[in-house]
Amino acid sequence: MIGISFARVLRNALRNFRRNVWLSIATTVIMTLTLLTISFLYAVNVLGVHVLSTIEQKVDIAVIFKDKTTPAQIQTIKKDIELRSDVESTRLITADQAREDFRRRHADDPYIEEALRELEVNPLPSSMFIIAKDPRFYETINSSLQSEKYAAFIDKVNFQNSKAVIEKMIRIMDVVKNAGLIITATFSLLVILIMFNTIRLAIYSFREEIDIMRLVGASRWYIQGPFLVESVLVAVMSVILSTSILYFSLHTMAPQINQFFFAGQNANFDIYQYFVDHWLQAIGIQFGAAVLLAVVSSYIAVRRYLR
Amino acid sequence: MITFTKVSKQYVDQTPALHGVSLKIPTGDFVSIVGQSGAGKSTLLKLLSAEEKPTQGNIVIDGWDITKIKNWQVPYLRRQIGVVFQDFKLLPKRTAFENVAFAMEVGGALPKDIRKAVPQILKLVNLLDKSDTYPNEMSGGERQRISIARALAYKPQILLADEPTGNLDALNSWDIVQLLMKINKLGTTVLLATHNDDIVNALKKRVVTLNQGKVVSDQEAGTYKL
Repeated sequence: MIGISFARVLRNALRNFRRNVWLSIATTVIMTLTLLTISFLYAVNVLGVHVLSTIEQKVDIAVIFKDKTTPAQIQTIKKDIELRSDVESTRLITADQAREDFRRRHADDPYIEEALRELEVNPLPSSMFIIAKDPRFYETINSSLQSEKYAAFIDKVNFQNSKAVIEKMIRIMDVVKNAGLIITATFSLLVILIMFNTIRLAIYSFREEIDIMRLVGASRWYIQGPFLVESVLVAVMSVILSTSILYFSLHTMAPQINQFFFAGQNANFDIYQYFVDHWLQAIGIQFGAAVLLAVVSSYIAVRRYLR
Repeated sequence: MITFTKVSKQYVDQTPALHGVSLKIPTGDFVSIVGQSGAGKSTLLKLLSAEEKPTQGNIVIDGWDITKIKNWQVPYLRRQIGVVFQDFKLLPKRTAFENVAFAMEVGGALPKDIRKAVPQILKLVNLLDKSDTYPNEMSGGERQRISIARALAYKPQILLADEPTGNLDALNSWDIVQLLMKINKLGTTVLLATHNDDIVNALKKRVVTLNQGKVVSDQEAGTYKL
């Protein structure tokens, strides 16, 4: 009895799909566009975060040590800073390294080489570059470096130069995150409404049949089942379509995206590869959204005629 | 046995559709419900098929108080009650056979049982030769007979006919009434709501007259009197 009922529900779902084939196709197309919108917004978000983190790696605080600060004291300060929870990493350039770097950079300039040889002491100071875990932390790190504790060892903290960049970056990151969220939510809401109405339209064309079904004693499941099954069918087809379009588009566009955002940045990010690596997440989000959208819409729409 | 005890039905912001109706309809009876438009005939039938719930009172069918029926029980009740409407309510994209089979499918009948029963029912309504015909290729009388055939698909104990001849000419109307009498003779209780005085008078069966939601007359072998 249950087997027969389920088989009839499946058969009716396929018949509904065939009988309203244009409406079914329209629903599938709208759902595919919905999923593509959500997926592309997700891709833009992923890309935005990677672009910003690449820039973030280039912002730091430069600490210039006083000449009299010994290497041991510098090491102590370095360890001290590294222990902070808001610090991602530090990079120390000793006075000797700085001189070597300077020499290497001006190897073709005999005058500079000459000048360095004539100087008895190394004119370049030791320095340390600090990268924070989040751009927001630079202000606190800077204040702590300016404190009395380090006054005897640190000559200068080069933060003011980076401050404008850091603040701008914080603002951009906030905008990207919030705008991404708002745009995604707005688009999703819009397409959900369109989707919901499309499914309602499909069900409206069956209202007479639903009415007759009720009168001849059809159970709720027998009436609602085919619409729910049809919704899942539309959802699965939409996921297949949108996934194919998404991966094809990303595969085609990935080199251009990489060139546009990361050229000359000494960084590399392949958005297509990212989606290949995170396929379960990418398809899972789409599938979850599609089934939820379709099933909830059709459930609410049919319920109206079952009262 | 169908028992109405002090049944009232009040629609929101309207005068009562039924007011304190008490009736007893024994199994196998044939009852004509007559009255002017708005007298409460259709409401009475809708209460029996649980399309509406009474505001007050009780309706009991063979010991089952359907005024306390749960939503999930409604389909089971409707499979025991066949309903025929003035506008036929047939599925236009299905043949006569499929329309009758549809009612059996809904109830979970096996395909072999459907294949066996549907021709028998179509034969009962004299439409076996129209098995593969679509409703829009049939006359009004034929459509109503298909509608009756569908109502009989479950072998219901009760058949409710709400103005079944309302859209038919005199000849077809009489055909339908004779069919209802035939079904009644096979043991099914028939409740016929109608305006048609000729039919009611010719039937010489029990007549319940409603006026403004109240039973004003209940006669065995009665006539149409308003």
